[in-house]
Amino acid sequence: MSYHITFPDDIALADMAFEAIANSPDELIRAATSAMIQSLADPTTIGRTWAHAVDRSANDLASLLFDWLEELVYLKDAHGVVFHDATLTLDRAPDDSAYRLHGWVHGEPVDPARQELRSDVKGVTKHLYEVKQAEGGWKARVVLDV
Amino acid sequence: MRLNTDMAVNRIADEVWEIPPSEKSGMVVPARIYASETLLGAMDRGVFEQVTNVACLPGIQRYALCMPDGHWGYGFPIGGVAAFDRNEGVISPGGVGYDVNCGMRLIRTDLSLADVQPLLDRLMTELFRRVPAGVGSQGFVRLKRTEFADVMRHGARWCIERGYGWQRDLDCIEEKGCLDQADPSNVSDQAVTRGINQLGTLGSGNHYLEVQVVTDDGLFDREAAAAMGIEGREQIVVMVHCGSRGFGHQVASDYLKVFEKAMRRYGIHVHDQQLACAPFRSPEGQDYFGAMNCAANAAFANRQVITHQIREAFGSVFDRLPEELGMELVYDVAHNIAKVERYPEGELVVHRKGATRAFGPGRAELPERYRKIGQPVICGGSMETGSYLLVGTERAVRDTFASTMHGSGRTMSRGQAKRSVRGEALQREMKQRGIIVKAVSMSGLAEEAGLAYKDISEVVRTVDQAGITKKVAELKPIGNIKG
Repeated sequence: MSYHITFPDDIALADMAFEAIANSPDELIRAATSAMIQSLADPTTIGRTWAHAVDRSANDLASLLFDWLEELVYLKDAHGVVFHDATLTLDRAPDDSAYRLHGWVHGEPVDPARQELRSDVKGVTKHLYEVKQAEGGWKARVVLDV
Repeated sequence: MRLNTDMAVNRIADEVWEIPPSEKSGMVVPARIYASETLLGAMDRGVFEQVTNVACLPGIQRYALCMPDGHWGYGFPIGGVAAFDRNEGVISPGGVGYDVNCGMRLIRTDLSLADVQPLLDRLMTELFRRVPAGVGSQGFVRLKRTEFADVMRHGARWCIERGYGWQRDLDCIEEKGCLDQADPSNVSDQAVTRGINQLGTLGSGNHYLEVQVVTDDGLFDREAAAAMGIEGREQIVVMVHCGSRGFGHQVASDYLKVFEKAMRRYGIHVHDQQLACAPFRSPEGQDYFGAMNCAANAAFANRQVITHQIREAFGSVFDRLPEELGMELVYDVAHNIAKVERYPEGELVVHRKGATRAFGPGRAELPERYRKIGQPVICGGSMETGSYLLVGTERAVRDTFASTMHGSGRTMSRGQAKRSVRGEALQREMKQRGIIVKAVSMSGLAEEAGLAYKDISEVVRTVDQAGITKKVAELKPIGNIKG
């Protein structure tokens, strides 16, 4: 694993933001996924009794990441679950036209008695949203509405 | 005075400051901020940037406004108010907020502190059990999709028909708890799936249910208070702050994407992607309005189901019918919404984001009992410092499109609050001060500590002195439930 996640204070006063730095686009997706999972609950307190197949594509990495993070928020509410981890693979379509994300996200139904729940993230915002290739790797900045 | 902006901010009255259109390219009208010197000095840079961005939107009337509890938001600042011409202006999800019809509700009781204190722990436990809060919480109401469509159309009225409340509750809800422009055909399946099991849930973040006490010393306007059933004498009241949960957020997210594309088609340019908007009269604008009203109705229904559960909890703990406990609804106000209202300019689409409608006396929209005093305004403070009940004024109608503040407003980030205080310690300290707190998440509790918020008394004093709302009563917390 070669990524770094921070939750800076000075981006979203009333909400939550994270920044991820990784060596590659697929590591960046994993980093941002981990940040989202950690925002919702302490993943070490969450089991793996529920799983959902991931299959998304988008023309660019920024759109793919945004849509995927939104899907996690949707899954949380639609299935009443929180997440332990996600095993994800990122590749390009044969003609390089799109990024494709495959894999599984694992978790279990919400149970406040056993789990350390954190923030009920309700939306992924475009405020200061950024995904870019920078010196030393790839960077993402995401502001979550809580 | 040092401000977090390089723009010229001119004082035009004791509590009113104006940024002229010359300060930013594209401003159509001035920006006006309601604040004391202290509050203005503490406002973050985002407030000045965002309120002037709003002043650039097509069809905006008179000025873009920010209330004294204002702080950085998405697109509009929190505390932002703007009115747009119905025919030439726009509608923007960024001017409503993600949590459509997030709002406040206050329920009075005949109980006193002496009645409640011996049973307070049991009462808070019962409320915590009956009103789910926190990540992924689901309510007890199980609905088919067709039934949820009825919730979208009829809001709180649906709840009354199902037995979750009293018919007279509807008179004391903004718009009687039902916006009739709601159109479920404009709502995505995803939004319905997110919202269908969340009726009667608080959520997390800054949402809460609070048991409060009103002392004689906390009454500022006894006539208005009496009209609301607020009598002082250490009377117990219950406040609820929550909105449309995941449903409203999905509606907002869906339409931000629609509007990003629509803006290109209509040639609209904005300073911030989160200000994505469309002409109100356009198909996209009308679709969003129909969907937003569905989310608003769902929020009215959410607070109504929670009210039913609160009454059940009190009834169970005190072994009396809620009617016998005098548990009447004082009022329910939206503070994240866009509505068509009539002003001297004509029919305007008034956006309030973290701002409350504040109609003055005599308005036909108000129930008979409030026509003499004006609309009740419920202003939520932090769980440590307390809240206020106020009334709207004619001056608000004249000066601020009948709008005022909604709460105390944050001054500290969630991360900073968590580093300053631990949830468990805060819970213990508050218990020692006589406030019982039940929370799903201890880190979430720390994020909502009183030190993270502005001084609510200063915010309320500002709107009172500016004349856009008048203080009626101060409400002090004795029990709080957080997600």
